[in-house]
Amino acid sequence: MLFHNFKYFLKTLFGNKMLIFWTFAFPIILGTFFKMAFSNIESSETLDIINIAIIENEDFKNNEIFTETFKTLGDEKNEDRLFNIKYTTEEDARDLLENDEIDGFMILIEKEPKVVFKESGINQTIFKYVIEEITGTSNIINNLAENEIKKEMMSGNYNVDYEKIYKKIIDVAQNQEVKIKDVSSNNLSYTMIEFYTLIAMACLYGGILGMVAINQNLANMSNNGKRISIAPTSKGKIILSSIFASYITQLIGVLLLFLYTIFVLKVDYGTNLPLIVLLAMAGSFAGLSMGVAIATLLKANENLKTGIVISVTMLGCFLSGMMGITMKYIIDKNVPIINKINPASMITDGFYSLYYYDTLDRYYFNVVSLLVFAFIMIAISIIQLRKQKYEKL
Amino acid sequence: MQPNAYDIKSKIGVIFQDVAVFEELTTYENIDYFCGLYIKDKNKRKQYIEDAIELVGLGEFKKFYPKQLSGGLLRRLNIACGIAHKPQLIFLDEPTVAVDPQSRNNILDGIKKLRDQGATIVYTTHYMEEVEIICDRVIIIDKGHVIASGTTDELKEIAKIEEKVTVEVNNLEQKYIEEIKKLKNIHEVEYDSNILLVAYNKGKNNLVELIEYLKKESIKYNRIYLDRPTLNDVFLELTGKELRD
Repeated sequence: MLFHNFKYFLKTLFGNKMLIFWTFAFPIILGTFFKMAFSNIESSETLDIINIAIIENEDFKNNEIFTETFKTLGDEKNEDRLFNIKYTTEEDARDLLENDEIDGFMILIEKEPKVVFKESGINQTIFKYVIEEITGTSNIINNLAENEIKKEMMSGNYNVDYEKIYKKIIDVAQNQEVKIKDVSSNNLSYTMIEFYTLIAMACLYGGILGMVAINQNLANMSNNGKRISIAPTSKGKIILSSIFASYITQLIGVLLLFLYTIFVLKVDYGTNLPLIVLLAMAGSFAGLSMGVAIATLLKANENLKTGIVISVTMLGCFLSGMMGITMKYIIDKNVPIINKINPASMITDGFYSLYYYDTLDRYYFNVVSLLVFAFIMIAISIIQLRKQKYEKL
Repeated sequence: MQPNAYDIKSKIGVIFQDVAVFEELTTYENIDYFCGLYIKDKNKRKQYIEDAIELVGLGEFKKFYPKQLSGGLLRRLNIACGIAHKPQLIFLDEPTVAVDPQSRNNILDGIKKLRDQGATIVYTTHYMEEVEIICDRVIIIDKGHVIASGTTDELKEIAKIEEKVTVEVNNLEQKYIEEIKKLKNIHEVEYDSNILLVAYNKGKNNLVELIEYLKKESIKYNRIYLDRPTLNDVFLELTGKELRD
């Protein structure tokens, strides 16, 4: 039964011109336009070294971890350095910030760093992330030192071997070095940002397929749904196999987009392609489940539901930076909860993290977030579907 | 009926008034899909599909998509999708609406075959002539209420119309119409477009009496004939003649 419904539902999806357009053709057409629009500026486009200022107060000078880290990250001998650093007073730093000569500055008060920006953007986010990483590493080292000394004293050894502890801490510190990537040699271009949001959009258009999977099987939504609901077949099995067929269709759509962007538009996804595909799979599942939830919860006709799915997708992509990357940072700064629940933002953030960070923590966080989002949507849909009963058809 | 009453559901077939087929599947695939929801055995299903296609006369259109079919053929496909699994109880909701006479004839023949094969058929329609052709028992429902039930003959008795005489007569004056209304056993008299309809509620040889009256008054007529009341008359009698929304 599962395969029978899966086979025929897959056939109906591939035979539906409207779905084929939104799932397969539209992202490819949009991708072509992006390439045409951004190809000219792409060649001259590089991400500049980030200009920052550090307030050189006594707390900073006495904090070896901060001084050494920024010394490395701002080493002028290194062409690929991350920061161009001005060591100055707070008053001068504020003037520099006001005159747009720097993107932000950091002031260390005791062991607590404070980062000051004038506006939000990629540079500010990177700077803030670096500070968070240094603070985290610093805390690990301090806690480790404290624990090692305490351990020695508890064991009755009051002549602590500071050299041994120092070596141990250095080992840890070396393993806990700042995880931020040197992005200047591996620029994330505006074109790539647009392609990432395009992939996010293509993934979320799976919502239309999810919606169709529900509408075709619900008696109150379609004539076919009436006929299916009177058959001696489990509604759950029918819907599950339909959703699976929708998911396969969606993945084929995203795969075609990848192939088109790689081989026709010559987009270079780098060595992270398997991870990008994994994220796209999770994103597609999230998009699909969103469509399922909208179709289940809303009491409206199919056209209105389609409009809502497309609108929600486009709004999500807009908020995650499709029409201007600044929007993502404005949302991050002012209403961060929106990006936390916006699947488009999870997808784009997952892509950025592959570029910006050496570790995959943030990437996997986004993958897991998408799966959690998808399971919540599916759970809501199941609860709603279980409630539905028909007095008449 | 509970949603998981599969034993009962497997014995029921429903043909909805609105055509319920997948536009993206061919005639054969549509029937196979819906039949497959009931019949798992592939070989058995294949035979059932062929039987259904033969029953509704879609043999030449197996590979056609619904949009390539005429309204009548589409209705026949709709029926095939609903009965391919050979249900014992079939509900048909106005299956001949907006269908050409040939397709209607084919559909009615198919329904009679299903009936003859032993299926119980519940047929909903506004076309009374169809009811007279295929139904053993009739229920008239008006505004959600059953107002009459029985065989067609029983219903005709309920309606109290025994005979109907139709006279083609030009420019009949109102005074004659009023006088005809006073004749014996008259149930109703109507005169419209030079056609005089006289309905009798009982008695026989009412026609002779009417002819004698027309002769006596020297009313010239073109044709005169006697009818048995139809189910349509019964329906109008029971539900009223005023227009409905």
